[in-house]
Order: sequence, then C-alpha cells, then structure tokens
Amino acid sequence: MANIGIVITVCGAALCAILAGIGSAVGVMAAGKASAGVTSENPDLFGKVLVLQALPGTQGIYGFLIAILIMVRVGLLGGNVANLTAAQGWQFFFAALPMAVVGLISGICQGKAAVAAIHMTGKQPDASGKGITMTALVETYAILALLASILLMFGITI
Amino acid sequence: MIASMKYLSIICMKEDRDKLLTALQKCGEIMLCETEDSTHIEPSAGQNMRRMEKLIKDVKPYKEKKPLFAPNPEVTESEFEGDRTNDLVTAGRMEALLKKISETESAVEKDRQTVAQLTPWQDLTVPVEDIGDTEYTSSVTGSAAVGDLEACREAAEACGAELQTVSSDGVREYMIAVSLKGENLSRLFDAGFERAALPLKGGKVADRIRALNESITENNATLMTMNEELKALSAETDAPELLYEQFRAESEREAAPFTETDATVVIEGWVPEDKVKKVEKTVAKVTDAYDLQTRDPLPDEKPPSQMRNNYLTSQFEGITNMFSVPMYGDNDPNPVMAPWYWIIFGLMMGDAGYGLMMVVLGLILKKLMQPKGTTEKLFNVIIYSSITTMICGVLFGSYFGETWHPILFSPMNDPLKMLILTLIIGVLHIFTGMITKIVYDVKAGRVWDAIFDQVSWIMVITGLGLLFLKQTKTVGMILAIAGALIVLFTAGREKKGIFGKATGGLLGLYGVTGYMSDILSYSRILALSLATGVVGMVMNMLARMIQGNVFGFILSLVIYAFGHVFNLVLGLLSAYVHDCRLQYIEFYSKFYDGNGRLFKPFAIQTKYIDLKDDGGKENG
Repeated sequence: MANIGIVITVCGAALCAILAGIGSAVGVMAAGKASAGVTSENPDLFGKVLVLQALPGTQGIYGFLIAILIMVRVGLLGGNVANLTAAQGWQFFFAALPMAVVGLISGICQGKAAVAAIHMTGKQPDASGKGITMTALVETYAILALLASILLMFGITI
Repeated sequence: MIASMKYLSIICMKEDRDKLLTALQKCGEIMLCETEDSTHIEPSAGQNMRRMEKLIKDVKPYKEKKPLFAPNPEVTESEFEGDRTNDLVTAGRMEALLKKISETESAVEKDRQTVAQLTPWQDLTVPVEDIGDTEYTSSVTGSAAVGDLEACREAAEACGAELQTVSSDGVREYMIAVSLKGENLSRLFDAGFERAALPLKGGKVADRIRALNESITENNATLMTMNEELKALSAETDAPELLYEQFRAESEREAAPFTETDATVVIEGWVPEDKVKKVEKTVAKVTDAYDLQTRDPLPDEKPPSQMRNNYLTSQFEGITNMFSVPMYGDNDPNPVMAPWYWIIFGLMMGDAGYGLMMVVLGLILKKLMQPKGTTEKLFNVIIYSSITTMICGVLFGSYFGETWHPILFSPMNDPLKMLILTLIIGVLHIFTGMITKIVYDVKAGRVWDAIFDQVSWIMVITGLGLLFLKQTKTVGMILAIAGALIVLFTAGREKKGIFGKATGGLLGLYGVTGYMSDILSYSRILALSLATGVVGMVMNMLARMIQGNVFGFILSLVIYAFGHVFNLVLGLLSAYVHDCRLQYIEFYSKFYDGNGRLFKPFAIQTKYIDLKDDGGKENG
C-alpha cells in the first residue's frame, strides 16, 4: 500500500519534470520562432540556428533526470518501493524544488537569450559561436540547481 | 604557432592583370589588401552567378534526389578552368525548357478553366453567334441557384421574359432568358439570375470544348516530353553548378582590389613568409615583366593570423577561432587548449558505449559526406574525443548507461566522489591557464607580475585545497595565508597613493570569489556525465519493460537504437557547447585575449562542387 511519504515524493518528482519541461518548451518555442524567421531569409543558416534553438532544451532533460533519479532512489522503478515517512517524503519534495523552479525560469530566460543570439546570427553568421557562449551562460544556473538537487537527494537517508 | 606574414606588392603590366589574378586565385596563398587608391574590375559575373543559382534552384525538382549526406561531385581543376561555351549552351537549353514548361503549364491551366466555364453550355444546339439580339428579341445567358429558381421564374414572367433551361448540375441551373427588345430585366437579376459570359464567336460550344480538350491533351504530351528531356539533361550534366562556381570565382576576381597607373597595376596583400616563394613562382609563370617586393609588417599594421600547428592540434583551431582569433604576434593558445578540450569532452560524455558509437558513426558519416574545412575539423574533434570518452567510460564503468565493474567509481552511485574529481580537474585546468600566463610574462620579462598576479593565486588555491586533508592542513594554511598576503600587498601596486594601493589590495583579495565560481563551474562535468548516463539508463529500462514476448523484443530493439542515438546526439551537443564554454570563460580568461583576424586567402571557394587538384590547365 502506498504511504504518504511516497505520495509526497512522487509529487516532487512530477513537479520537477513538469516545471523544467515547461521552461524548456517555452524557451525552445521562442527560439524556434526566431530560427524560423532567420531561416526564411537565409536557409543556409539552418544548421547554426538549430544549435542555438536546442540550447534551452537542456532544462527539461535535467528536470526529467532528477525525476528519474528520485524514482530510482525510492525504488519506484525497481519494484521494491521504500517505506518512507512523511518527513522523508517532504525531504525528497524539497530536494526536487531547486531543479523544478530554476529549470522553469532559466529555461524561459535562456530561450530569450537564444532568440537574441539567433537574431545576431541572422545578421552576422560568423558570430554564432559567440551567441552560443552568451546563451550557454544562462544555463550555468540550471546546472547549479541540478547539482543542488542531486546532492540534496543523495543526502537523504532512507 | 602563428605564421609570420610578409606584405607583398606585385607590380605588373596592365594586360597581364587578369591572367595574374586568375593565377593568384588558384594559388590561394595571398590575402589581398585594399589601399586608399584601390580600384576593382567592373563587376559583371555576379549577375550570371545569380542566374545560375536560380537555374540550380529551378532544376532541383527535376533532378534525381541525391542520397542523404552525399558529397558534392568532384571536378578536376582542368575541367573547372576549361571552356564553358558548351556548358552555357546546356544551361541555356535548360532555362529555355523551364520557361517553355511553365508557359505550357499556364496554357493548360487556362484551357481547363475555359472548359469548366463552358461545360454547362455544351448542350446548346446553336452556335454562340446566334445567341444574342435579333430584330425584335434579345437573349441573355445566365445561371441561378436551384433555390432561387422559383423566384426567377416569377420575375421573368413579370418582366415578360422567357427562361429556357440549358442544363443543370444540381446546384445551379443554366438558362437563357429571351425577351422583347428593350424590356427591363432588372427584376430578374434581383431575383438571383446571374449573367454568364459566353464567347462571342467560335461556333457550337460542344465543338469548342472538344477543341480545347484536344489542345490540353496535346500540351500535356509536350509537357511530358519536356519534363523527360529536362530530367535527362539534368541527370547527365552539372553544367549549372559548374558555371555557378566559375562565375563565382570570376566575380571574386572582379572584387579583388588593385592599384592602377597608366601602364601598370599593383596588387598588394599578406602572404605567409614560407609561401612567398610559391607566390613568386606563380607570378613568374604568368609573365616575365613583373616586380615583386616584400616587407615586414609595420608596427601599426594588423596582419592576419594563420595558425601553424601539428595535425592533431590544428583540428581544434576552429574552437578558438569561434571565440576570438589569436592576434598576430601573440601566442597561439591552441596547443594548450586542445588536450584539455579533448579530456573534458571525454569526461562529459563518459560512456564507453557512446564513445564507440561516436567513432563508428563519425567515421561512417565522414566517409559518406566527405566534409571540407571547418566541418571536417569538427568531425575530427568528435572522432578524437571518442578515445577519451571510451577511457572515461571504462574508468567509471559506464556502458550504454549500464554500470558494469567501474575501475574508479560510478558517478551514478557516488556523485560526491565525481564532484570532487571534477573540481580537481577544474583546478588543474585553471592552473594550466595561469601557468601559461606565467610563461608568457616571464618570456616578456615581467617576472614580478607573474609572481604577484599568478603565483600568489596558485598558492592561495592550492593552500585552500590542502586544508581539506588532515596531513597537509598546516602546510595548506601557511601557503594560503602567504599567497593572500602577496595579493593584499601587490594587487594595488599600479594605483596611486596609499589609499588607492590599500583598496586595490583588498579588491584584489575579493578576486577569490571569481576563482571559486570558476572552479565550481566545472561541476557541470558531473551534471552532464550524469545526464548522459541517466537518460541512457532510462532507455534501457523502457526497452526491458516491454521485452515480454517476441513482438515486444523486436520493439525493444527499436527503442535501444533510437533511444541511444537520440541520447548520443543530445549529449554531444551539450558536451560540445559546455566544453567550449569552459575553455572560453574559465580557461581563456586567465591568459588569452585574441582579437586577431583570420587569414582568408584570395582563393577559389566552391559550394556545389569539390575541386580536385590535378595541376590544372597549364598557363600558356
């Protein structure tokens, strides 16, 4: 029988995948629109702007990663579900939060940076490398959040 | 290493100019420079180039589809320089065919529309000339929706007209309204009767339709043969592509800057020192009447940079160039950057299975596409990095996302150990950058700067690191404090006044946050290697879940294949971008400025074909 600890843990894992996924979806959508505009003017730039468009997509993967790691940790994927107390459940819930919240916001922000970089690439195709760097800087914070979530999650004793 | 450059001035007779430019372009070793009185040849080839580009685009639907990733067709230099009359004829034929096809297509379309318009009237037994006004009556052809029929009949009766139905398609009824001349039919039109224009001449409608249909069939047959001809033509010749490249080369020659006097022209530009001989030979082959002078760059000039590294390092040059091209006369950072890029890429991917896929897929794609220039180098970077990826995969026991006998430890089960390892890698990477800076400084005679700005920080960071170990705690403390004191007393040495020096020192110490965030930034290696590993693991898990029966087993193979290729592509993209970032922001900030410009020689650049060197046509 499922206990309350597992319920709260699943909430955290789901929230992480949902919010980070939304962040990436919004970011990639914005970048995709800009890419379509640039590509309509200059189809040769497709390869360059595609890389830029893909950049805000990592947050969704990180969120998914935390969700899976939590599931593995509490045995939801292995079959032997751990018997968690409510306190442990809340610990997993909050461990998932950094990635969930930062993933949502940084995904959207990185999308905006990617849009600017794509416009820049449209005007100066040679500058796409610089655009990639500018956009990738935003991701630092998603990576820090990912690390915080991972370390928190592995620190919980069950 | 950055090649040393010479500034070359070639003076030759005016009549040799075009031949000389062609030869220099083929030689491809000189980067032409504009001067204040530079002129260009009157541009004319650009128009032809665009014409060919349009032709290539228009012919594309008729061309046989190239297989995915196919390389460009190869053309030898002598073919490229050869006579283009025949090709021009072929291209002209293609253009004429395309024009004819589009004309015929629109004629067919127009005929079809007329047929559609006439079809309701095909049962008319009288020729169209006979419809219309007679001495006492007038007739109007038109149609009305079936629903308005009653109203029309009533209206017709009211204005003394007679409606005769010719045909009906169930939606509209096609009719002729006959009335006495001068009768006002406006009520009939108000009721929904719409006038239909019939051709004024041409005999019976049915005959007309038959004629039109015949013309459509005929045109379609012509279209078919023309399509076949164009298909055959475009299959057997690359004339538009070849012409495009020739016009493009010509247009680039026309854009080449030179200075003119009454009888001579001067062509100037940068040439790598070791290629001067080659350029001179090229010039001598064209003409005897020339003068060639070389000189070193002037202090206020900014010559272009051409990197000269061994083959392995040179594959990584594109990564530095994307950030900033090394300045001429500065040090080339590629030899220090390349090995680190290689190692960090491997750590980020960190899976033996994926390393294997990288090398296999990389080699296959390279064989298929035969990429040139920067793309080829990018392929090579990935293929080389597969080695470190496989090594890291074996060390961490990661095979396609599964953990199996790690030699060191598994990042998935022991993320803390991996985190510490990545931070140590980060410290080593940053130290490499600082040591490079020390070497530069010492070479330039700035020994004290090296000690104050680099050695001091190396002491602080090493000291802080040693604090974590029990045995070296005291040594670490002493090192860190000594380093910090150097920074405190020397960071403000260029400021004026005691106050400035003091605040400078304190601000210098604040730099510790910069170093800390730089080092922590390397934790992304852990994040990326975990991301690759976990997504791979999930794919395996998904595949195993459905392996219940034979059908599920086959489906699971598809999941294995697609899942791992998907994960590989995503992992490669992240590893490429974040490895670049670590080099640009954490590593290059320690010692590298760049701001140079790349050596881009005046050469033949091709888009649709690849040139093969066969010596070319001998210059007569």
